[in-house]
This record gives sequence, structure tokens and C-alpha cells, in this order.
Amino acid sequence: MMKEYFTDLEEGIQGAIRGGNSSPKKFYTLELARLGRRLYSGTDAIAWCGITAPFDLLNAMGVTSCFVEFIGAMLASTGVVGSFIEETDHTGYSSDACSYHRSVSGAAIKGMMPVPEFLIGTTNPCSGGLAVLENLACRFGKELFVLHIPQNDSAGNVRFLADQMREMVAFVSRITGRKLDNDLLRKTVENSNRACGIMREIFALARHVPSPAASRDLSNFGIVMALFLGGEQAVAIAGAYRDEFRRRIDAGDYGKSGGKFRLLWIQNRIQFRHGLEKMLEEEYGTSIIVDELNDITWDDIDPENPYDGFARRSISIPFNGTMARRVEHLKKLAREYRIDGAVNPCNWGCRQGTGARGLIENGLKEIGVPVLNLEVDCVDSRKFTEGQFRTRLEAFMEMLATRPPLWR
Amino acid sequence: MYYLGIDIGSLSCDAVLINGGSTIVASAVVPTGARNREAIARATDEVLRIAGIARADVAAVVSTGYGRDRVEERLSSVTEITCHARGITALLPGTQLLIDIGGQDSKAILLGKEGNVIDFAMNDKCAAGTGRFLEAMARALQVDIDDMADMDIGAEGKQSISSMCTVFAESEVVSLIADGAPVNEIVMGLNRAIAARILSLVKRTTLQYPDMKVAMSGGVARNAGVVRAISFLMDREVSVPKKPDTVGALGAAMIAKEKNASRRPVVSA
Repeated sequence: MMKEYFTDLEEGIQGAIRGGNSSPKKFYTLELARLGRRLYSGTDAIAWCGITAPFDLLNAMGVTSCFVEFIGAMLASTGVVGSFIEETDHTGYSSDACSYHRSVSGAAIKGMMPVPEFLIGTTNPCSGGLAVLENLACRFGKELFVLHIPQNDSAGNVRFLADQMREMVAFVSRITGRKLDNDLLRKTVENSNRACGIMREIFALARHVPSPAASRDLSNFGIVMALFLGGEQAVAIAGAYRDEFRRRIDAGDYGKSGGKFRLLWIQNRIQFRHGLEKMLEEEYGTSIIVDELNDITWDDIDPENPYDGFARRSISIPFNGTMARRVEHLKKLAREYRIDGAVNPCNWGCRQGTGARGLIENGLKEIGVPVLNLEVDCVDSRKFTEGQFRTRLEAFMEMLATRPPLWR
Repeated sequence: MYYLGIDIGSLSCDAVLINGGSTIVASAVVPTGARNREAIARATDEVLRIAGIARADVAAVVSTGYGRDRVEERLSSVTEITCHARGITALLPGTQLLIDIGGQDSKAILLGKEGNVIDFAMNDKCAAGTGRFLEAMARALQVDIDDMADMDIGAEGKQSISSMCTVFAESEVVSLIADGAPVNEIVMGLNRAIAARILSLVKRTTLQYPDMKVAMSGGVARNAGVVRAISFLMDREVSVPKKPDTVGALGAAMIAKEKNASRRPVVSA
């Protein structure tokens, strides 16, 4: 079923592009469909991973790899997530736990998760994700390699993590029987650097006032692009976004919102269909122009010595380490993007979301940015009452309208 | 000319009519029931009847509340957060912090001098501690909800209600009655549970509340026991206007007047 779904999606988007209906979002979605098809092909060597695994390194080893939360988001977006979550609940999972992980577990129980060759867990960003990977490893009877991500960027920590990544390469080689080709690794790193360089340009363009970024343009962008890094496709997708944003700025095309208010979206988007972003744009002239994870927080990786760079990248993810570091990163984004307000969905069951919300709110308020805290299950649409969230967002917009401009 | 504000909530539909001088001419509160369009019509007819005016005399209507988009004749709809803020500032000028507890939600609203919203926090996930919660508890106690307002008098605060889930709290109340707990102690326990919940919203909005002028609106503000409990926990006087359930509709009427003025072209003499 999933293979057919992704194949149909891929063919549909390719048809649209051939028919002249192309956009950066279509190129991005096409690559998502291709990834999904490969994951469910039954022929590719696949690995289920944690969010901060070095996907470009795995790509260089010929492994189709993906973080498990992708499956939760995909099931949510297709509107079928409920039965998978219920399946997990039947096994005794708390219904208050993260629905990304409950849906993944349910998919595995119902045979909707392809059997991987191995799994790569990461201790960042959450222990829940690692627990799911351990569960999957037991269910599939496959080996799990865990990357222990240190919390600070020090020489010792970088060496510690870089050594683990070398061990990971040996682990993957042992299981797949394939050795890492150093020339291919060098090329992969160069491609990663190119794509990340262009992504920096995209984010710089999105900061323009008014912003060329509409609310859905860069939804989930940073976190998903990590899956494509190392390949030419990541460079092509990033280039398409950069060119489109440049075109919009040159043409004065700022979409439906007109850029009255600029929002920062904290953590992850709501993954199922809803009308809130459309409402914000069309009724309040407001766009979400930056997401917390849409940032390149690391320097270019040295193609001749990539492991230290891979390690620094994993350590640099804003969700890693103390909340103070995360708050400072959000403040940096708010200043850079001249944000009028921030929305924190506080995904149910996520300690990153709910545990940090007071600190995040206070930190952003210190620089004058108001924060709307919501309590949304970003995956399980059955818990979503749109009217309740409309009221909160509308009141937030009404409040912004009475405040003096923050940055002008 | 007259301006009409309609606040259609989950339990009641409230209407307030003001004149060009922003004076309240009429107000009405009717049960929302299952058909909110009928409730809107009844509340509108009632204020027109009291004021003795025709529908054509109403220059603009602004709606608020969860059913605000159901008011077909509205000039615009505005959230209840903004409307309650505007309404309370008109009734109790200088209010800095407003607590609004309605049928299915509760809010703490931090106000600016002009009645603008500086910040707000609302209940999350469930409607425990709201009007619906009180209705369920009155049912468990087998008393009229209006009679609950003074049933805490004489209690010493010995009984706490541990659960704020409406269903669990209802069975807890039934168990307490069966165990012979005094009703006034149970009611005070319920009131304080509601107050504790609202206090967390207040603290999320501001920690400066001990120095603020605090008011309360919404239907639950008619329950003096809940107001006393909130006042006790906040260690502050909590002011309540005469008709707390019409504060949102009043704010909507005032916004209707403003919006009507801004849509008319300015004609110089």
C-alpha cells in the first residue's frame, strides 16, 4: 500500500512538473515521494534512524536512511494516523506519549514499516525517539547502533562523537558488506556543503521585509532536507527555492499575506491538514516565515576530514544541550527575521515542547517578542478542535495589531 | 444610531445594545441550546424589544464567542479575549488583570490602559474548571447551580477536590457525599479547585498580579463562591461588574461602534 502511495505521488508530481506546473515545493515533495518509494521498495538497503543521524554519511554508503518521525508525519498528513496510534495504545503505551512515536510503533505492529537492515539511534533530541528505535530493533531482530551525542562543542566531545561515527561506518560495513568509498565520501561532503550554502542563502532571503516565504513554503524544510544531504537532489531543491525567493523579491510578489505580521514557529508544524495557516495569511496578513529548525547551525564540513565536521553538526542542533542554548537560538532567529510574534505548539507528550515552554516564552519576551503557547498534538488529528486553536491564534493576531511595531 | 454586540458562547448567548454615546441601552442573556442561530435571534429580538427600537436602527453588529461566525449580519467578528478586555475597561476602568470564566473556557487577560490586550493565557486541552464543570458538580450535588453561589459559606476549607477531570471530580463529589462530608466543605473544595486552575493561568500571564487591579467576567463570575475562592488564593480583591456575563457582548458593541465609524467616509462641513 505504501509503495503504491509513494509511486502514485511521485508519478503525479512528475506529471505536474512535465506539464509546466512546477515550483520549489513540488521538487521538494517529489524527492520526499522518491525517498518513500525507496524505503518501501523492498530492494533498497534501508536504515531507521534518529533525527540527528549523519544521513549524508549513510547515503554515501548506499543506505536509504530516514528518521522514524518522518513516518509519523507522513501518516498524519495522509489522514490515516488514528488506527496506527490505537494499535500502539493497545500494547500499553500511554496515550499521553508523543504521537510521532506512537504512530511509528503502530505502523511497525501493523506491518507498515519495512524491515531495515539496521538502525541508528541518537541520544539527541529525545529519549522517546531512542526508545522507539530500541523497540523497533527488538521487533525486527536487527542491530541498533547508538550515537551518544555530547551536549557541548569541545575538542574532546567532537573527538568522542567523531570516533563513534567512524565506528558507525564500520558497523554499517559489517552489516551491508559495503565499504565506504573515500572519493564518494568526499563528493558527498562537497554536495552537503553546497546544499547548506544555498540553504543559508534561502534563509537570508526569507528575512527580507516583506518576506518572500509563505507559511507553507519552508514547513518541515530544515529537518527533512537533512535526509537528502550529500546528493545532487538537495542542491537542486535548495537552488529552486533560492531562485524562487529571489524572483519573488524582485517582482514584489509577497503572496496572499502581504507580510503584515511575521511569525516564528517553534519546534515542529502541525502535520495533518488544517486551516490555520491559510486563515493567518488570508484573514490576518500573517505568514510563518521561519521555523526553529530552519537554520544551518554548523560550518562547512572539511571533505578531507569530515568526521569532526559531522560531529560538530550533530552537536550544534539547537535541541541539543541546555534549554538556555535553545532559547538563545530562538532569540537569534527572532532578531534576524524581525519577528512580530512566536507560536509554540508544545506538541503533546514532548518534553522539549512542554518542558521548555516557560523558559522559551520568558526568553523571547525579554526581547519584546510575544509567544502564543498552544497545546497541540501535532500528529493525532483526532485530538484537534480547530475552533479552539482559531480563537487563540485570532486573539494573538488581535493583540499584535494593538502593539507598537517591534523592529521598525 | 445603535450598536449591537453579540457574544454567543457554549452555554449562553448574550446581547448588548449601546447608543452613540456608548451607553448601554439594553442587554439580554438567553440559553444557547442546540441551535445557536435561534439563540442569536432571540437575544437580538430581546434587546430590540427592551430598547424599543427597530432592527434598522442598529448601525453595526460585531459578534464574539465560539459561535461568532454564525452571526450572519455581523460587520465583523472579534475574539472574546479582545471583547472582554474592551468591555471590562468600559465598566471598571483601570482594570489591569481580567479573569474570564465562561461555559467551556477560562482565561487570564493582562490589559493595557486603553483596554488593549497585552498578554493572555487560556485553558488547555479540557474544559475543567469552567461553567460546564460547575453544572456537572451541581448535578452531582443535586442542587440548583445558582444556589451553589453561597453554599460555601461557613466552610473552613477542610475538603479538597483532588481531580479536575470533570468526570472524575463528579464521582469524587458523589463519594464525598456518601462519606458524609459537609456540602459546604465540598462546594468550597470545588471553588478552590477552580481558583487554583485559574491562578495558574494568571501566573502564566503575569507574576505582578498581587499589585494589580483584578476583575472577573463571564457567567461563572455570577457565582460569588468561586469569586471568593479566587480572591482568597490571589490574596486580592476581585471586582465583578453587575452583569458579568454580558461583558464580552458589551466589548463587541463598542468595537461595532468603532468599526462603523472607521468604515464611513469623513465628510467635512
